[in-house]
Amino acid sequence: MVGAISRPVRIAAWIFVLATGLFLLAPLVVVIGVSVSESQFISFPPDGLSLRWYKEVLSSDSYLGAAWISFRVALLVTLTSTLCGGAAAIAINRRVLPGSGALATFFLSPLVLPTIIYAIGMLMLWSAIFGPVTIVTIWIGHTVITIPYVVRTTLAVLSESDPFLEEAAQTMGAGRVQRLWLVVVPQCLPGLAAGAFFAFNISFDEAVVSLFLRKPGLTTLPVQIYGQLEFSPDPSVAAVSTIMIALTVGLILIIDRMLGVQRFASS
Amino acid sequence: MSDRAENLILALPGLLLLAVAFFVPIAQMLLLSVQGEEGLTFANFTRFLGDPYYLGVLWRTVRLSLLITAICALIGFPLAYIMARVGPRMRLWLIVLVILPLMTSVVVRTFGWMVLLGRSGLVPDILRSLGLAGRNFSIMQTESAIVIGMVQVLLPFMTLSILGVVSRIDTRLEEAARTMGCGFGATLRTVVLPLALPGIVAGSLLCFTLSASSFVTPNLLGGSRIQVLAASIYRSVTQTLDWPFAAAQAVILFVGVLLILVPYARLGGGTR
Repeated sequence: MVGAISRPVRIAAWIFVLATGLFLLAPLVVVIGVSVSESQFISFPPDGLSLRWYKEVLSSDSYLGAAWISFRVALLVTLTSTLCGGAAAIAINRRVLPGSGALATFFLSPLVLPTIIYAIGMLMLWSAIFGPVTIVTIWIGHTVITIPYVVRTTLAVLSESDPFLEEAAQTMGAGRVQRLWLVVVPQCLPGLAAGAFFAFNISFDEAVVSLFLRKPGLTTLPVQIYGQLEFSPDPSVAAVSTIMIALTVGLILIIDRMLGVQRFASS
Repeated sequence: MSDRAENLILALPGLLLLAVAFFVPIAQMLLLSVQGEEGLTFANFTRFLGDPYYLGVLWRTVRLSLLITAICALIGFPLAYIMARVGPRMRLWLIVLVILPLMTSVVVRTFGWMVLLGRSGLVPDILRSLGLAGRNFSIMQTESAIVIGMVQVLLPFMTLSILGVVSRIDTRLEEAARTMGCGFGATLRTVVLPLALPGIVAGSLLCFTLSASSFVTPNLLGGSRIQVLAASIYRSVTQTLDWPFAAAQAVILFVGVLLILVPYARLGGGTR
């Protein structure tokens, strides 16, 4: 058969995929391993098997407090980012406004700029105008960096939709709000959902903006973990990290059910 | 209400948010970098560019970012090609393999590497038992540790960028090359690689930018002695509290990134 690939090449490809897979997953597996260790010290392979570090995490005020802040911020960010980004994507897709192409570039620009540069600017501006940072600062910061994802996923879905549906609805007497709510928004839903998942995941895991905007009493979960790693890591860090990995796995499963992971990956 | 008004209302919240909370902060940062006691000053820039220590930091950042990007491309291209050519079930698993680390917090992944590469970690242990390393051998706090950690962090970006392009390549082109007597390796080199080039270039730009601007992984794996530019910025902001100097360093990073991105955008790319 033409195009057949010889055995050695196939075997080499398999070895390559296995090695790369090992490399990509190794840090996650190690973290999970450390978290169930009985030992007081970080060790892999784990010494013994126990859930004591999970118990410790679930009774630690600093971890629970940080988790609560992260969770609230991520929910707020998901909401604002999906609303602003989704609405903007609909407007960009209709190409009614002058310079719609430039508008798309405008909305995608936070994606191109390194987050650290933005984080510094945000810290400096906020301090100059409002003084100390608050949870609102992190909320705004995360919304800015996640909006491009929502715009992109929604635009991708809309560009495949049928523009005549809206016209048909108009001919049948639907008003602007009805057209938007009953025709356009349902078409956007897969893109909005994908964007919302991106926004939640990015905000919940984000460390750069949160590190620059940190202050005592305002640490998100990744910042809390970072702080522990800098000074005195014990297996409780691994337990928290494992919970975060589990959340990611859960999110991927939901995404696969709702949208299909392949589609999600290609956006 | 006109069409224009309706769409303006839709775009306005995001437009205002980005204008006020994205572009103004960047402008503020740019301003602060040239703000002195009495008016305009470039002292922060001359301080950076005149100090061999900071020039060393800059050079290390560029060197490591290039190395990390090259390794990502070397692994990412074959991986993406295999992903594009395997069956749908296998492809799904491979995509999960790439996305799971991508969606896990960088802090968590770096922690995993700290455990693996640390003095009593698995990797030095294995190297020691193979007789490849001495008793006190440690990879932590070296540039190698940064490169290993960063490649794992950035490989998914590279792979997905290339996958987007490779999966659109018509397999009949490869079949045609093979029918004409081209071997597998030669087909890969002369047909697939040139067609995949836009994906490789886009992925490389993304990886380079991300790696030049990260500090979490370099800080935790390289320690405070091995500074990269982004880590130095973070230190100026949080430890020495020298914000104008931090702003100047951020501007240098910004200019560096622009110098790389703008020619590419000119060529008609677009970042992904």
